Amino acid sequence: MAERLLEIKDLNVVYETDESVVHAVNNLNLVINKGETLGLVGETGAGKTTAALSIMKLLPDKTGIIKRGEIGLENINITIATKYDKRLLRGNVISMIFQDPMTSLNPTLTVEYQIAEVLALHKKDMKKAELSKRVDEILEMVGLPPSRKHEYPHQFSGGMKQRVVIAIALACEPKLLLADEPTTALDVTIQAQILKLMKELKEKLDTAMLLITHDLGVVAEICDKVAIMYAGQIIEQGMIEDIFESKYHHPYTEGLFDAIPDLSKKTKRLNPVEGLMPDPTDLPTGCFFHVRCRKCMDICKTKEPEIKWTNADKTHLIKCHLFNDNK
Amino acid sequence: MEQPLIETKNLKKYFQTSEGNLHAVDGINLKIFKGKTLGVVGESGCGKSTLGRTIIRLLEATEGEVLFKGNNILDYGFEEMLNIRKDMQIIFQDPYASLNPRMTVSEIIVEPIKVSRIITNNNKINKKVSELMDTVGLAKRLVNSYPHELDGGRRQRIGIARALALNPEFIICDEPVSALDVSIQAQILNLMMDLQDEEGYTYMFITHDLSVVKHISDEIMVMYLGQAIEQASSDELFENPLHPYTQALLGAILVPNLSRRNENKEIVRGEVTNPISPKPGCRFAPRCPYFKEDCLGQEIEYKEVDKGHFVSCVLYNK
Ligand SMILES: Nc1ncnc2c1ncn2[C@@H]1O[C@H](COP(=O)(O)OP(=O)(O)OP(=O)(O)O)[C@@H](O)[C@H]1O
Ligand SMILES: Nc1ncnc2c1ncn2[C@@H]1O[C@H](COP(=O)(O)OP(=O)(O)OP(=O)(O)O)[C@@H](O)[C@H]1O
Ligand code: SF4
Ligand SMILES: [Mg+2]
Ligand SMILES: [Mg+2]
Repeated sequence: MAERLLEIKDLNVVYETDESVVHAVNNLNLVINKGETLGLVGETGAGKTTAALSIMKLLPDKTGIIKRGEIGLENINITIATKYDKRLLRGNVISMIFQDPMTSLNPTLTVEYQIAEVLALHKKDMKKAELSKRVDEILEMVGLPPSRKHEYPHQFSGGMKQRVVIAIALACEPKLLLADEPTTALDVTIQAQILKLMKELKEKLDTAMLLITHDLGVVAEICDKVAIMYAGQIIEQGMIEDIFESKYHHPYTEGLFDAIPDLSKKTKRLNPVEGLMPDPTDLPTGCFFHVRCRKCMDICKTKEPEIKWTNADKTHLIKCHLFNDNK
Repeated sequence: MEQPLIETKNLKKYFQTSEGNLHAVDGINLKIFKGKTLGVVGESGCGKSTLGRTIIRLLEATEGEVLFKGNNILDYGFEEMLNIRKDMQIIFQDPYASLNPRMTVSEIIVEPIKVSRIITNNNKINKKVSELMDTVGLAKRLVNSYPHELDGGRRQRIGIARALALNPEFIICDEPVSALDVSIQAQILNLMMDLQDEEGYTYMFITHDLSVVKHISDEIMVMYLGQAIEQASSDELFENPLHPYTQALLGAILVPNLSRRNENKEIVRGEVTNPISPKPGCRFAPRCPYFKEDCLGQEIEYKEVDKGHFVSCVLYNK
């Protein structure tokens, strides 16, 4: 039986600003087992980063508020854990690759110093010379010439900074890696190298990953499970085969797949989901997607659909009236 | 022959570091014609952003020329530069760092209009801002929001609205859609292509997403460590990639289905050449599967091997 590492139950997160309340995450449920990679996909602004920040307990002070729900990590409810637990839980158990690399890099320190600092924290008995050798190895692993380690972050390109952050996160050998768009700033050959490192970490240490990405090619390559978010909710979830090979999908998921430019075909125009994302301060009634849905029925406008299993194995969930019996 | 809107001649940008000159852009020759899109791809750190910034003089070139409608703008003084600045805009790669955190959405969009004093009437400015927000799909309620309150996609839309504010002729797009989900990406790409059809915009489009670059570009240039190593029309490059690095790049594309999931993928291996004081020869050589002695020691010609298809590799240098 798979061992549960992270379990999010009914999570609701809002941002309270002067003028309004942004409902960023609504009734989110997720489970990640040891050694499992879950891909979190979804529209821009759907609340993916907010969900990750909630796990890290890094929501902005005062404005970012967990309204309801539990986040269990190794069976400890970390939404109520104390400060001491927080520190313990980060560092050794979870590490995060931020969407913006400068969140975790210090502009005034050299790249070498920043990697060595993290290594020293994790491998307390490492000698200086050993540390320096390890820094070189780590840089090489992410395709950076070690001879450039004396430089500062601002001397690196966007993707080079991102690779430093990835190098640091992997060096921590965490049990849970939260990776927010880790390879978006990278070309595909370096991306292949990074994905391989992630797979090795998973094989060697049974590391679990929450991989936030817009790239369905990356999902197809490395994820075991996939969850798709829309307006703060998971609207479809399943094993990789459910998402890529089942006939049944949420209309938003279908829209996402249709919007990807196809390398094998020449088209004049791409095919996006029509309309704009809903305003998270004023979410629609019924199904949050109904205003943009090509299959919208009357019931969709007033009643929120339940999330239901669509297969006998109970691996594939869809939140849509088309798959609710009472349609 | 028709004059290109933008042309660079032997353009170089070196950064001085404690260890020597870093050859970020090292002798780029390119031409972009009015209403066309040049896609620029290449390894992270190969100099794409630096090239873009040097062309519009956000960075001072070390050597070479940048011709805008035939005139070398690197010779322009402050006043002349101010006059053509509005014609050349950039959409930045990084929607976090490029937006001033202390300015509201409308202030950010309006800034270039104010600086250039093209429109001075406040009502007209406000109208222009709301038109621009509409064009890029930003809700009106966000006019007074600050960038940190917004998700990556909305932030990137601000950057686009800001670049469009002055109706420029030439726009450098440095990964304008990489922070967006594929549906909004499709909306923005459609928008950019419509604007090109209607207004004749000329784009230099930098991206790591090869299916995007294929879709949007007329021509594609592949860079490796500061140099152009291959260029061809978009279709030709994908059908007939010649340079071993281009081949590796196209081979590493991940498709959004499970057909290649369990394949053992080739990883480009070998030491990465340091761009600080590089030696003559092919900079991809230490990682190239076809490496032979001629690859190092002398500069390799950038040769037109087929009409409009250029490549710099000894394999094609007979
Ligand atoms: N500090 C904040 N204050 C107010 N609203 C915020 C804040 N941070 C995020 N939001 C809002 O919360 C919602 C969810 O944002 P989040 O960053 O989690 O989205 P995301 O799914 O990560 O999007 P992307 O794919 O663009 O990164 C968005 O509507 C965003 O504008
Ligand atoms: N201000 C700077 N000082 C010193 N070196 C720099 C500076 N800016 C960039 N570089 C170096 O110039 C080279 C090219 O960087 P550039 O940002 O142009 O790459 P890029 O192709 O845009 O990469 P990415 O795809 O990761 O964005 C890199 O080696 C980088 O480290
Ligand atoms: S519930 Fe209705 S509106 Fe929502 S996705 Fe399903 S069919 Fe479309
Ligand atoms: Mg995000
Ligand atoms: Mg760049």
